[in-house]
Amino acid sequence: MEDFLNLILEPLKELFLKFKAFVPNLLAMLVILLIGFILARFIKLIVVKFLTAIKFDSWSDRMGFTTLMRKGGLWNKPSAILGGIVFWVVIIVTLMSGLNALQIPATDQLVGQFFSYIPRIFSAAMILIVGYVLSGFFSRAVLIAASNSGFHYAKILAEATHTLLMVLILAMVMEQLQIAPSIVLAAFSIIFGGIVIALAIAFGVGGIDTARRIIEREVTAKSEEETKDEIEHI
Amino acid sequence: MTDFYQTGIITTLHQLGKPSLERLESELLGFSKVRPIALVLPALYSEFEGPAMPGIIQELTKVKYLNEIVLVLDQASEKDFQRVRELMAPIPTDVRIIHNKGKRITEVYETLARNGLDVGEQGKGRSAWLAYGYVLARGRSDVIALHDCDIVTYNRELLARLCYPLANPNLDYVFCKGFYSRVTNKMNGRVTRLLMTPLVRSLQQLVGHHDFLMFLDSFRYPLAGEFCMTTDLARVNRIPWDWGLEVGSLGEVHRNYSPRRVCQVDIAATYEHKHQSLSPDDAGKGLMKMAVDICKSIFRTLASEGVVFSDGLFKSLLVTYLRQAEDTIMKYEADAMINGLSFDRHEEAKAVDTFTKAIAMAAQAFTENPMSTPLIPNWNRVTSAIPGIFDMLKMAVDEDMR
Repeated sequence: MEDFLNLILEPLKELFLKFKAFVPNLLAMLVILLIGFILARFIKLIVVKFLTAIKFDSWSDRMGFTTLMRKGGLWNKPSAILGGIVFWVVIIVTLMSGLNALQIPATDQLVGQFFSYIPRIFSAAMILIVGYVLSGFFSRAVLIAASNSGFHYAKILAEATHTLLMVLILAMVMEQLQIAPSIVLAAFSIIFGGIVIALAIAFGVGGIDTARRIIEREVTAKSEEETKDEIEHI
Repeated sequence: MTDFYQTGIITTLHQLGKPSLERLESELLGFSKVRPIALVLPALYSEFEGPAMPGIIQELTKVKYLNEIVLVLDQASEKDFQRVRELMAPIPTDVRIIHNKGKRITEVYETLARNGLDVGEQGKGRSAWLAYGYVLARGRSDVIALHDCDIVTYNRELLARLCYPLANPNLDYVFCKGFYSRVTNKMNGRVTRLLMTPLVRSLQQLVGHHDFLMFLDSFRYPLAGEFCMTTDLARVNRIPWDWGLEVGSLGEVHRNYSPRRVCQVDIAATYEHKHQSLSPDDAGKGLMKMAVDICKSIFRTLASEGVVFSDGLFKSLLVTYLRQAEDTIMKYEADAMINGLSFDRHEEAKAVDTFTKAIAMAAQAFTENPMSTPLIPNWNRVTSAIPGIFDMLKMAVDEDMR
């Protein structure tokens, strides 16, 4: 009978001991989550206040970021959106730290991978922001140059420049984030190469007559010069 | 049928005989291919519950020459907005509804505010301005017509006659104002009859010849809420957001274009809409508020054109106006008698007293702060401050309509 009871109690004891060892970790995780949540809200508040103070919303409006956000279906203030992003980043970091506190091997690996991925996310975000500003700058430069040169299709040219640069930047971002890098690279090479070949063909075929005229003019001018040399003026 | 007298320095297009509506509409259909027309309707939800808007919708279902209708809906909840969409559905033209209190449009207003662009408080002026912006953002129309949504005597001839001078490419007009007689069994339109005309004529008496005063006096119904203009004009014009909307708009038209390119057209034999109370003791509402805003707008426009307003001028103005208004009452009394209309002379005199008080209040407000009359910045300035605002506005409306 005693053996039978031991058979039942031993696993329960073992479970209890394991649970006893696990409880401090669980409590640590809950404390980390609680502190993280409070910290995230506080940081969000600070970030939003700071962005409002430096008139970030107004700057975003002028730079076109707000329009970009609206295109993505985001209808809050840019500072509130950025504050929200910061909040969720802190929450995710907190969650990862909390999971780490549990000291379970499977989650330890996940946490390690996550933290090593963070620099990539930041650099991708930087590429996206700087790229967007630069593409806007180049597109406006093309628009001004083309319309000053009297091209009727200046706006289309500017939009095409903007789109091409954005494709390039998105490819760079995807590559940075290591999201199917080989497929992205191949797709980008095909699309960009295709566009360049299409442009080359278009200019080549469209410019045949012009090229012929230029060559003919050159040849005629040369032969006229040669003929001139044969005539001797008195 | 009216006479064919040409009033003042602008062109007057009369309703002579009985012009065929079918001919007008068929010509407009042809013109609209060259000059597409947008109709702007600043509406309150309450107008859909009354008799006016259902009648207007019924008439608009028969109109084929309009390119787009932009309705700016104010004082409406999300549920009301959806209801208005259903009510507007029978109209065959492309109808876009701007939900002025919607989350996205509110965010557009906030974007404007944080960039230092004061677009004023809610009202017809702000709604009309936003609708012009949306029409400009879409870039699909060359002509914008606007009429109120409280007209209970609406018929589509009003719209056709309003659009015609601008839609016809052979006529070189940039702005056209509607006029009509506000007569039922009595004469309505007290602010125009007893404030605007006597005030403008008094100012002419005191200031002497002035182009803007002549321009204002040329309009048979300067406060009519029905007008039509080119999109170029909508882009450069600044408009007041308060009751000075009509006068302020005329001031901007006068500033930017030659009177030769401005006309007025007889759009209706009778016109009836909701009436405001006189409110003689409260300058914050009713006709009193309207009168104060109108006077301030006139004073500011004149001051911006070099007229110097002194304390003495304002004192003389009050007395001159009173005399002019009293004479006007007598003229209208005679007019009412011959036409068998009822005419309450005491009520008319009370209105004049109220308007005299309004002029004094406007004069005081102008002296204290000559820059106080609000003007919404024009769309050229707005797009210069926020390059993406047109895209944003278009997206806001399109998302709301989805």
